[in-house]
Amino acid sequence: MSEVVDRWVERLKGKLPPIGTMTHWERMAAAFDLKPMDMPAVAPELDYWQITYAGYSHQEIYNDADKCTDACIRTWADLRTDAIWMYIDISHQIENFIPAEARPKYFVHRGSKDYLLFKPLAKTLDEAIALYENRTFEKYLGDSRAVTHYHPHMLQLLEFQEKMDRVVPVIVGAASPSNYAETIVEVQQFVRWTITQPRKLKHYLDLALEERLKALDYYADAAYGNGCRFFGLFGGARTWGPRQLREFGYADQKYVEKAAKIFPYLFWHICGHNLPEAMQDLTCWPLKAVQYDMPYYSQKLSYREWFESVARLFAGKRCAMNAPTTQLACHGTPGEVRAMVRDFVDATTPHTTAVVMPGCEIDAFTPVENVKAMIEAARERRL
Amino acid sequence: MDKLAELSEALLQLDGEGAARLIGESLEAGIPAARILSEGLSSGMRKVGEQFREGVIYMPEVLVACDIYYSGLEKLRPLIQPGENRQARGRMILGTIHGDIHTVGKDVAVPVFEAAGYDVIDLGVDVADEKIVEAIREHRPDLVGLGTYMTSTFMHTRETVKAIEAAGLRGQVKIICGGPSVDAGAAKRMGADDASDDAWEAVGKLDRLMDELKAQGRTV
Repeated sequence: MSEVVDRWVERLKGKLPPIGTMTHWERMAAAFDLKPMDMPAVAPELDYWQITYAGYSHQEIYNDADKCTDACIRTWADLRTDAIWMYIDISHQIENFIPAEARPKYFVHRGSKDYLLFKPLAKTLDEAIALYENRTFEKYLGDSRAVTHYHPHMLQLLEFQEKMDRVVPVIVGAASPSNYAETIVEVQQFVRWTITQPRKLKHYLDLALEERLKALDYYADAAYGNGCRFFGLFGGARTWGPRQLREFGYADQKYVEKAAKIFPYLFWHICGHNLPEAMQDLTCWPLKAVQYDMPYYSQKLSYREWFESVARLFAGKRCAMNAPTTQLACHGTPGEVRAMVRDFVDATTPHTTAVVMPGCEIDAFTPVENVKAMIEAARERRL
Repeated sequence: MDKLAELSEALLQLDGEGAARLIGESLEAGIPAARILSEGLSSGMRKVGEQFREGVIYMPEVLVACDIYYSGLEKLRPLIQPGENRQARGRMILGTIHGDIHTVGKDVAVPVFEAAGYDVIDLGVDVADEKIVEAIREHRPDLVGLGTYMTSTFMHTRETVKAIEAAGLRGQVKIICGGPSVDAGAAKRMGADDASDDAWEAVGKLDRLMDELKAQGRTV
């Protein structure tokens, strides 16, 4: 029972005008199930943007789950996107690897609107391996923000989802083994070691996989057990080449296979310049949808061509989720944002279902009018 | 294949030991260090760039190639005589903008720019605006490179440009942003001169900015 949730349920339940002929939940489920939809779904990863949109600063919500939940619901009530993304930051992910007294030196609050910055936890592969072999992440879990902030915030949003009779899904997300393994040492080190120390790196990745597979038991209990059905897996591997995918991609694949047994609506988040081979792999893993991003450097494609090529690849297999780019959302005009959303929907829907969802989180500096333009452009289309 | 062509190829093949050996052998053979750098290591970096842009090699290989380049450069730089040094196309200070600690873009950009003939002074990561202003005064560069990995830190460009303006130094330098989240139009709106998300493409932009400076009679 949460006061903040009850307040919002009382204010919203049964009082929201319908949008289209489906509920938000039905629209997202239809997209993931590759079934007919009344209009394209729109579910941007609002993440920390919604905190400042709702009038809070990052410092204000950092240790306050109620305010964090309030921000997410307040933003949804205004914008009526087809999903609510819970707020996640890097401290939720890695604080349990760090003793309480040392945490301040690893995290940098850059300002009221900026994302939390972190410093890598290990400089060498041996140090990183030791963090796992010594079970460091278990030692410091109890008082970490994974427990004190992430967990209550997630439960509150799921409580809202359930008390609203699943009119809108809450998206819970978790980082993949490659994402964790890269984050702990910094991505540039990890990718170097794929070439210079591949055997030792594989051992490190196996340890990360073991921890992540165990973490899925927590998500089965705390997330699925409390109503979560839409689950996002945040992949790392964004700067890998085909060789790295072949040699190290198994860890993320095993993670997806286990998560798919828990969550019916599972999707993969792959941001950055997407490698064609990675997109191909994602059609073979047991996912329902893919939140993808920009074409790879060597692909000389317009965005429209890129959207169409992915839609053709996903036809009959996956729901495609993209547009506009987070960069355009932040730096472009509302007209440019609308145009890219239209291009995405027009290029995608002849082949598969579409969810308007930029390839990564909406930046906190993104103008409100651009987020509204994205939502309106999706709502204007009928399928 | 001559020694320098072999060195260039060793870098492309990510053969660090081979590159180190070939640098030693080239020096022993009396080849000037500046020539080993330009015709061996820098030539190799240019080929790395071509292969990256053609999708033959990928970011992990590029990073390892950069490490080999750096390691060779460390050995050669002290041996390059002042008169022997190539005529640099321009001087650049470069750092990751304040609030951002990612090195991945900078680690690639510095050797690529150096290989293209620029003298690059690496200011590191999370560089405060004051430090950039101080570095402009100290090094009198033609170009200022602001690395940003995230969209939010790219937005810090405006503050950095303002700090350079407030110090009365904006007219002396061209400012270019780099990183996966940059956008040239947005960079210009924030007061910078250009932006690029690709180090090799950026070389063309650096050349153009240098031409503009020359046309204005403002190069160092």
